[in-house]
Order: sequence, then structure tokens, then C-alpha cells
Amino acid sequence: MYVYLYDNFVKNKKYASLIQALEVRLTDYGIAGKILHLNNYIDAKPVIDDEIKRGAKTVVIVGNDKTFGYVLSRAATCECTFGFLPIGFENTIAEVLGIPVGEEAADVLARRRKEYLDVGWVNNRYFVSQLHVHPAKVEVIYDERFKASAIDKMEVVVCNFQPFYWKKNDNDQEQQVVHPQDGKLEAFLRPLTKKRWWGYKYEDPSVFPFEEMEIIGEKPFTMEADGKISKEVRVKIKLAKQKVEMIVGRNRKF
Amino acid sequence: MIFQKPSPKIALENNEEPQEYISGVTQQPDEVETVVGPSVNVEGDFASEGNIVVKGTVTGSVRTSRYLLVEPGAKIVANVRAGSAKIAGEVKGNMKVQDSLELTSTARILGDIEVKVLSVEPGALIFGKIAMAGMESGEAKPSRRTYRKNETAEEMSED
Repeated sequence: MYVYLYDNFVKNKKYASLIQALEVRLTDYGIAGKILHLNNYIDAKPVIDDEIKRGAKTVVIVGNDKTFGYVLSRAATCECTFGFLPIGFENTIAEVLGIPVGEEAADVLARRRKEYLDVGWVNNRYFVSQLHVHPAKVEVIYDERFKASAIDKMEVVVCNFQPFYWKKNDNDQEQQVVHPQDGKLEAFLRPLTKKRWWGYKYEDPSVFPFEEMEIIGEKPFTMEADGKISKEVRVKIKLAKQKVEMIVGRNRKF
Repeated sequence: MIFQKPSPKIALENNEEPQEYISGVTQQPDEVETVVGPSVNVEGDFASEGNIVVKGTVTGSVRTSRYLLVEPGAKIVANVRAGSAKIAGEVKGNMKVQDSLELTSTARILGDIEVKVLSVEPGALIFGKIAMAGMESGEAKPSRRTYRKNETAEEMSED
């Protein structure tokens, strides 16, 4: 049995025809199922757990990167197969998973090509795509063996399976890219050095593959994991290997 | 196409050059895995299973079974063990390189080097002993041959 978790934004009129076409195609394939609408106040885990008790085997997330991260950050431990139907903009994860945006995503879902995905674990919850620590005075300890620090502020980005994009400065036209590698999380550290009068400029990033790392700040720093922002002083990040069973496309990037 | 849908830029699309993981890094064998960027200080037991590129400062110890690149301006205050290495920065500590070590004209080494193949560019500075495999040292080593119980060393020399 299939359960579809729709993000709130897909109710928007501009997606109505696309959703209708998608539902028709799902019915054609015989994989249509129960539709649930998510909103900011719903925790996805108990909802999915309830549906699993009622016999759901596949949970399909309908939305964009934010929806994907929002659902899986809580529900990664649920014992079911996950699917994804990307709608609208901000769908970089779908491309990594090899799922086309729009109606064609139903074809991928119907084929049921499954892969186990690694996810990141941070302070009692999961993150799927990326974790971002905004520039702050922090120290990073890797695998309890060595620590990395900078003279001033430092930005930390932890990537799971999304590439890391960066620019040398605001005038830099070309976007630089570093690709994450398999079997490990990738931490990108970008120290900031003071400009002559005011402001900061970014240095080239450092790259550290790791399985466990700790970020310790002098003062509380802002952390964003899959779009969810929080203030932290100490963060422990681990790799949870092959945690999520996911339906992926043939053109996946891993 | 004028009315093409905007699509997110995914960098993984250009798979033509899988070797070039990080721009600005010179060609190395295999792909780069760990990079210590400029103005980053690393302290402790810095070990990696893959290649290491150092552009900043490392204190403690550095270990990799693969390739180590120390770029100009980088500083390592540590004992170094690597599969092969290219040094263009400063190293204060003993180095043990299994295969080949390349020292460029900007390299500064303050410590002993143990290596199989060494190449030094004019201008590189070394202060320390260099030991290379394949050549016996001057000092006589005690014989490691074992004798049977009823056999003395003199008897062995007669043979």
C-alpha cells in the first residue's frame, strides 16, 4: 500500500494541473494511495508509524528539497520504503536521486529501483542533504583524533550526497564545486579573514571526510540542517550508514 | 530554447573530469580526499586513508598511506608518514616516505628523511639525515643467523 505525503505548497493553484496529471498516471500504474497533507505543525514520524501499522509499505514524499529533508529528518528510522515525487523549484536532491521533476517521476516510482542511502545524524535527529553552520568562532574535532580551527570565524558545511557549491568572492562569476564521496560525510570548512576596513572575505575551503565529528562554539552558533534552523553550542555529527531504503532513478548520481 | 524550464544547477552533471575534484589543486595521483585549506590550523593525530593536500598549518603527526602534497606557504610541524609526497612548503619533523619524495625549490625540511626515491629541485633546503633503502649503512650489523644447539659460531665460519 502506498501513502503520499503532500507538502502544503502543492495546494497552490499553479501546481493543480501537474498534481492532477501525476495522480492520473499513478492510478494508471496502479500505485495510487492515501493522500496526507503536511504542514509545519505535523511531525512526520508518528504519522508514518500510524500508516505502517495500517499496512503501508511505501511512503512517497511529494514536494521539494525542503519537504524531503523535513520528512526524513524525523522518519528516517521508520521501517518502510520511501519514494519521492519532486514538484516545483528547489529540487536538487531529486536530480541526485535520478528522479525527474514533474509527471515523469511517477515512472521512476512505478519501477521501484531501490537503494539504501546513508544519512547524517546530528543531536538526536537525522539530516539527509546538508548541514550548514553559519560563520562563527567554532572548533571542529574529527573522529576524536584531531581538531581544526581558524584564527577568526569559520563556516562549516556538512554534505551527505549533495555537492558543495562555493564562490571565492561576490564578484566571482564561476561557481566552484566539490563533490561528496561515498561511505563518508564530507565537511567543508571555510575560514573568514578580515578585510582591511570592514567585512570579511572567504578563504578556500578545507575538505575533511569523516564518520564522526564535533563542532564546539565559544558562543551559541546558528545551525541549519535540511532547512531547519537552530542555535547550538555543541553539536555531534555522525554517519548512519544505509539507514533509508529509497526508490531511485536510473540516472542517479551515486 | 527560450521557454526552457529553469533547472537547478547540479555540478555532478560534468562527469567528464572525475580527477579534478578541487579546482586549483595540481594534478596528483588519484583523487583528492582531504584538504587543509589556508588559514586553517590542524592539531593532533592527522591521519587519512586517502590523499592529503596541505595549504595551511598542521601540528602533531601526519599519516597517509597514499599521496601527500604540501603547497607553498603551508607548514607542518609534525612527524610525517606517507606513501609518496611532494613538498613545496615547510616541514619540521622527521619524514618517512614509502615510495617517492619530491622536494621543490621552495621546500624547507628540518628533520630526518627516510625514503626510497628522492628528487630535489635546486633551491630546496634540507637540514637532517637522509636514509634511502637499497644501500647498506657503514656500521656492521649483528648477524641474525641462528645456530643449532650443538653448533658453535666458529664451526659455522669454517664452513
